[in-house]
Amino acid sequence: MPILTLAAKDLRLLIRDPRSAVILLLTPLLLILVLGLALGEGFGEKPDDRLRISIVNMDRGLADPRAYPGKPWSEVVIDDLSATQDIRLEMIHDRDEAQRLIDKGRRPAVIIFEPQFSDRMTRASFLSSAEAVNPFGRDGIDFAQLQVTILTDKTQPVSASIIEQVTQVTLLRVVIPWMIGKAFARVGDDHFMAQVATRLLEVKPLPAEVLAELDPVIQKLLAALTNDPDFKLLVLQEFRETKGSNLLEATKDAAVVARRTPDFQRAVHKAFQKRAILERLGREIAFGEVLTPSVQRQVGPTVKRGVSDLFSNYNFEATTWADLVNSPARYANAANRVEYRDTGGSGWLNRGALRYQILVPSYTVMFAFFLVLSVGWLFVSERKHGTLIRLRAAPLTRSQILLGKLLPCLCVSLVQGFFLLAAGRILFGMTWGARPELLVPLVVSTSIAAVGLAVLAASVARTETQVAVYGTLLVLILGGISGSLMPRDLMPEQMKTISLVTPQAWALEAYAQLLASPQPDVGVVFTSCGVLWAFGLVLTALAWWRMDLD
Amino acid sequence: MAEFVLELSDIRKRYGPLTALDGVSLAVRPGEVFGLLGPNGAGKTTLLSIAAGLLEADRGTVQLFGHQLSRQRRDLRHWIGLGTQDLAIYPDLSPRENLRFFGRLYGLRGKQLEHRVEEVLTAVGLADRANDRAGTFSGGMKRRLNLAVAIVHHPRLLFLDEPTTGVDPQSRHHIFEQVQALKAAGVTIIYTSHYMEEVQALCPRIAIIDNGKVRACDTLPNLLRLLDTTIRVRFSSLPADWGDRLAALPGVKQLRPSGTEWELVVEEIGPVLGRLAHECAAAGVELQSATTAEPTLERVFLHLTGRELRD
Repeated sequence: MPILTLAAKDLRLLIRDPRSAVILLLTPLLLILVLGLALGEGFGEKPDDRLRISIVNMDRGLADPRAYPGKPWSEVVIDDLSATQDIRLEMIHDRDEAQRLIDKGRRPAVIIFEPQFSDRMTRASFLSSAEAVNPFGRDGIDFAQLQVTILTDKTQPVSASIIEQVTQVTLLRVVIPWMIGKAFARVGDDHFMAQVATRLLEVKPLPAEVLAELDPVIQKLLAALTNDPDFKLLVLQEFRETKGSNLLEATKDAAVVARRTPDFQRAVHKAFQKRAILERLGREIAFGEVLTPSVQRQVGPTVKRGVSDLFSNYNFEATTWADLVNSPARYANAANRVEYRDTGGSGWLNRGALRYQILVPSYTVMFAFFLVLSVGWLFVSERKHGTLIRLRAAPLTRSQILLGKLLPCLCVSLVQGFFLLAAGRILFGMTWGARPELLVPLVVSTSIAAVGLAVLAASVARTETQVAVYGTLLVLILGGISGSLMPRDLMPEQMKTISLVTPQAWALEAYAQLLASPQPDVGVVFTSCGVLWAFGLVLTALAWWRMDLD
Repeated sequence: MAEFVLELSDIRKRYGPLTALDGVSLAVRPGEVFGLLGPNGAGKTTLLSIAAGLLEADRGTVQLFGHQLSRQRRDLRHWIGLGTQDLAIYPDLSPRENLRFFGRLYGLRGKQLEHRVEEVLTAVGLADRANDRAGTFSGGMKRRLNLAVAIVHHPRLLFLDEPTTGVDPQSRHHIFEQVQALKAAGVTIIYTSHYMEEVQALCPRIAIIDNGKVRACDTLPNLLRLLDTTIRVRFSSLPADWGDRLAALPGVKQLRPSGTEWELVVEEIGPVLGRLAHECAAAGVELQSATTAEPTLERVFLHLTGRELRD
C-alpha cells in the first residue's frame, strides 16, 4: 500500500511537471513531423533505380479457364513485364486510387487491364471472322482494341511515354506469337484445303500446259495399267461380256489390245504434244477437280511443312515469343512485383505513411529512454526538497521507496509508448502492421528496459544539471549506436551487430518486424522482448545496488 | 510504559577525521520537552538523525519506547515525527496533498485521515491556503507546513530541529503555539533552537552539546545554578570592618573585593539589595552604584563552552 501511495504521489508530480510532457510526448511528435517533412517520401526505402510500372488489373480472365494460356491474359503480360530486368511492377488495387495518384502527379502513367482484356486477347487473330479482333494500329498495339487503358499525367510526358512504349513492346511480345501460332495452325488443314479446292474449281478450262505436263504421268499410268494382270483379266472379262460368251474371240481381242498397247501409248503421247488437242481436252475440266479430297489431305500438311522448312528460324506453331523466335524462355520474377503501398498516407496531417513506419518507432524507442531525465529529476527533486529524508524517516523499507518510484515511471513510459504509436496512426497515417496485438508486449518490454536505464542513471546523478547532461548524452549516444536516429537498414552489417549491445536496437528490430514486414517473424519479436526484459532487470538490479538514499 | 521514550547510550559518530559525536548519552522521559542547545556544527542534527533512525551510529545504542532502534524495528518509526531543519515538503503539491500523502505513509486512511488533515491545517493556520501550491508560500508558511507534516500522524516523539529559524514573527508564533499545544497534549519533544528564550520557555530540561559532547544536561534551574548571582557595588567610604559586615549579611554567600568595588555572590538579588541598603544607611555610607548579574542560559552556555551560542 505505501508503494501505491508513493507511486500516486510521483505520478501526480510527473503530470504536473510540464518538462516531462514536453520531453516525453511533444518533442518526439514534433521531431517526427519535422523529419518526415524534411526527409521526403522515399526516406527509409532502399534506393531503387528500376523503372516503376504501375498496373491496375481488372481483367476478368478467360471464359473457359482451361483454354490457353490457362490463366488470365493480363497475368501473361504482367509475367512478361516482371521478367524484364530493371522494371518493377507496382500492383494498384483500384482504378480510383490510380486516378488519384495520376491527378496528384505521383505516378506518370498507370496501365489498366480492363475487365474484357482476356476476352479480347483470346479473340485477337489474323484470321478473318466476325469475332476476330485486330489488335494492331498505327503505333503498334491499339490499346483500345485490347481493352487496355493508360492513364497518364500530362505534366510528365517523357516518363509516361517510356512506360507506354515498354507496355507496347510487351504486348507485342505476347500478342504476336499468339496470333501467328493460331493462324499457322490453320495453314493446310482440311478447311483450308477445301477452300483452296473450291476456289480452284472456278479455274476452267484446264490450261493446255497443265495437261502437257501430265503426259509423263499418263504414260506411266497406261504402262502400269496395261501390264497389270488383274487389268488384263478385267479386259478379257469385258470383251467376253461385250462379244458374247466366245472365250476364244475374247482372248484374241485381248491379245490384240496387249500387242497394240505401246502403239496406243505413243498415240496418246503424240496427242499430248498437240496443243489444239489439249485445248479441246481441257475445255471442260476445272483446276479444282485435280485437288480431290484425298489430294487435299495429302497436300495440306505438306504445304505446312514446306512453309516451316522455308522459315526454319522460326516456329510458327509456337504461342510464346521465346518459342516463336527459338530463344531461351523468359521467366516471371515475383521479386519485381510488389503490391502498392500508400506512401502518400492518410492521417489528419496527410503526411504520408511509409516514412512514418520508420520514424515513429525510431523516435518512440529513443524518447522512451528520455525517461532518464524525468526519473532523474524525480529522484533529484526528492533530495532537493528534503522529502527523501522524510521518506527515510517514515516506516518504509528501501524497497518500498524504490518500487514506489519505479511504478509511476513505468506507467509514464507505457503511456508514452502507446500515445506515440496512437499518434503515429492518427496523425501520420502509419499502420500497426499485420500483428498489432504484438505491439503491446513490445511497448511493455521497451518500457521495462527504459525504466531500468533511467533508474540506473538516477542512481548516478546527484543534481538536475547532472541529470540533464548525463541523461541527454546517454540517450543520444545510445540512440546513435542503436539506429534510432537513422534507419537501421542504412547501417553497415557490422555496426548493426554492434548496436545490439543497446536495448534500443532490440526494440527497433522488433518494431521493424511488426511495422515493416507483411508477415512478422513472431520469434524475432519475442526474442527482442526477452532481451529487453533482461536489460531492464539487470539495469534495475544495478541501480538497486548503487542507489544511495542517504 | 518505558521509563524513557528515548535513551541514547554512548553514541559515537565520525565523518572521516571529524568526530561529530563522541560518547553522547541522553535519556528523555515521556511527555518531556527536551531542549538541545549547541552552536552550529556541535553535532545536534547528527544526534537527531541517529535518534530518528536516519543515520547509524558508529557505536552506542538508541532505545525508543524501550526498544532498541534497528532496521528490523521500522514499526517504531510510526511514533516518531520529524520536523527537519531544512524544509521537507513537496512544493508542487498543496498543503492538503502533502498532509494526505504523509498521513497515508503512516497508515492513516479515510475519514480519520481527512479529519486529521483538516485539524492540522487549522492548527498551523494554513486552512485557508490548503489547496494552493506549497511552492508559492512564504518561508514562514512553508515552515508551518513542515511542522504540520511532522505531526500529521500523531507522533509520540517529535524531533524539532530549529523549527523557527528564519521565519516571520507570525509564523514563529504559530509554531510556538503549536509546540505548546503538543507539549500540553503530552507529546515528547526534542527541541533544538538557536533561540535561547524559546528553549528556556519550552524546555524544563536541557542538554548543552558542543564538539560532539554533552557539556551539561539538567533542568534549567540546575543549569543556572552553575553560575553565581552577583551584585557589584561601589561605596563613598569604607568604614572599618565593612567587609565583615557585608559578608555577614544574610543571603550573601561570598564577598570578593575588586579594586574600588565589591562583588557579592548572593542567593537572591532582591532581599540582599534591601539589606545592603539598610546597612549602608546605618553606617552612613553612600551606595554610589550597584550592578546586578543573574545567571542566564546564555551565560551558562558561554561558561560551559567558552563561546557564544551563535559563534
